Amino acid sequence: MPIAFKDVSHIYNADSPFSYVALDHIDLEIAEGSITAIIGETGSGKSTLVQHLNALLLPTQGELQVLDQCIDSKQKPKNLKQLRKNVGLVFQFPEYQLFEETIIKDVCFGPKNFGVQEEEAIQRAKEILKVCGLDDSYLEKSPFDLSGGQKRRVAIAGILAMDPSVLVLDEPTAGLDPQGAKEMMELFVQMNRVYHKTVLIVTHDMEHVLSYCDQVVVIRDGHMERACGVKEFFSDIRLLRELRINPPAVIQLRERLRSEGFAIDPSIIDIKQLAEAVASEVKHHE
Amino acid sequence: MEKIKFEHVSYSYDHETNAIDDVSFEIEEGSYTAIIGHNGSGKSTIAKLMIDLLERDKGNIYIDKMELCDETLFAIRDKIGIVFQNPDNQFIGATVADDIAFGLENHQVESERMQEIIDRFAAKVNMTKYMQSEPTKLSGGQKQRVAIAGVLAMAPSILIFDEATSMLDPQGKAEINHLIQEIHKENKLTIISITHDIEEVAHADHVIVLDKGKVVMQGSPVDVLKREQQLIDLRLDIPFSMKFLKELHAHNIKTKQCITMEGLVDELCRLHSKM
Repeated sequence: MPIAFKDVSHIYNADSPFSYVALDHIDLEIAEGSITAIIGETGSGKSTLVQHLNALLLPTQGELQVLDQCIDSKQKPKNLKQLRKNVGLVFQFPEYQLFEETIIKDVCFGPKNFGVQEEEAIQRAKEILKVCGLDDSYLEKSPFDLSGGQKRRVAIAGILAMDPSVLVLDEPTAGLDPQGAKEMMELFVQMNRVYHKTVLIVTHDMEHVLSYCDQVVVIRDGHMERACGVKEFFSDIRLLRELRINPPAVIQLRERLRSEGFAIDPSIIDIKQLAEAVASEVKHHE
Repeated sequence: MEKIKFEHVSYSYDHETNAIDDVSFEIEEGSYTAIIGHNGSGKSTIAKLMIDLLERDKGNIYIDKMELCDETLFAIRDKIGIVFQNPDNQFIGATVADDIAFGLENHQVESERMQEIIDRFAAKVNMTKYMQSEPTKLSGGQKQRVAIAGVLAMAPSILIFDEATSMLDPQGKAEINHLIQEIHKENKLTIISITHDIEEVAHADHVIVLDKGKVVMQGSPVDVLKREQQLIDLRLDIPFSMKFLKELHAHNIKTKQCITMEGLVDELCRLHSKM
């Protein structure tokens, strides 16, 4: 169990007239080796939640276990540096944080900060850039001459180069074109399946949750509303409605057709299966 | 009648490669045009050239048959309103009312008239309740609505949305897309939406596809969207309804082509009720 929140609350500006409860008694466990989507409306507390994972924020109350370290309100973990190396946190629009003259220098910055020797850092950076779809011809280019999607790859490569065992991404595909978003999500799946990293993704994109994630955690007004498997989550139409979640297109279509009198299994969440069900319904009526 | 015309326009940021490369197109008055292309294809550069924020290297641009040049620049800028991508980068006022007033103040509109205009457009975008709110108290979608009100207050005849929904959550996105369609219907403005949201493209009258600074496809949404492989090669996609029909056709079921969810549901219901 690499990650466990135990009764964690976070209050911004506590003890002041502006105090604001962002997280309210969160109990949550994230299984090692899974891809977990963290969803919820803007302002629900998703980003506050993930910033606890490498102790950028400390709980106001309660404690959390991340890998072998404990984080509570009183103190940052003893080995903060180790924690930050092991939990790679990618913020929204990480490309705004690029700063070096060349791509290779930018990607090496993190590992070198954690004490990796120059030569090894360069070697690692090269490998990871390749995995991220940027070959050796990019190494000496300025990161600022790249397109938006490529810049984001460089920024994420900078985190991956530290070889974290937990990868946390806050809306990693916002603003990318459709194929760019798809490739980005496939990169995280590869990080999970091939490199066995535990991946947490804050997202609004239900298509991505359905296609790429194993688990869903729903945060609502600072509370943990639900934590379950993806299939179970998208079968619960009543919950989706209550949470005002716009379901993936395949589920929208399934529900529209069911309300029009099609006899379709309500647990279908796959486009191929839905097409098959519709086909047999139509043929049946002929 | 043609509202906007690009004639062999080229522009280069670095004097080596052309970000916009010999681009020609026309946009009809009162139409809703989607300009699509992957990140870095030159979409946003088009908007900047249109108001001379960037000066073209070659070619001509006409707005209402007026050639864009030093003499016509200010007359042309008065006709065009742009809403940009990042809601935080275009909120200038201390409150919603101040922000809508910004452009009007620059145009020295009298204060009594100004108040009336602010009220009207705040109501239009459904932000009347938030008149005295500060930007930090607003969601991304609300900030974009204020940006739209501020632009509409200047009474433009062309409205450009430069990825105006790409940083918003799904609810904010839906609100803004709905508002854009409403404005288009009511005001007969010429609307240009620069986007890579392929579901939004289905609602346009006309689609222009850019790649490496060139226009590579142009036409009605149906004409453009049916070229699936080409769209995917251009790092774009096809709408869900078309993906679904492809799967359905594999089961030997014949249907009309549908590019929206509504069209798809209607078509499937028609098949279902046919005996």
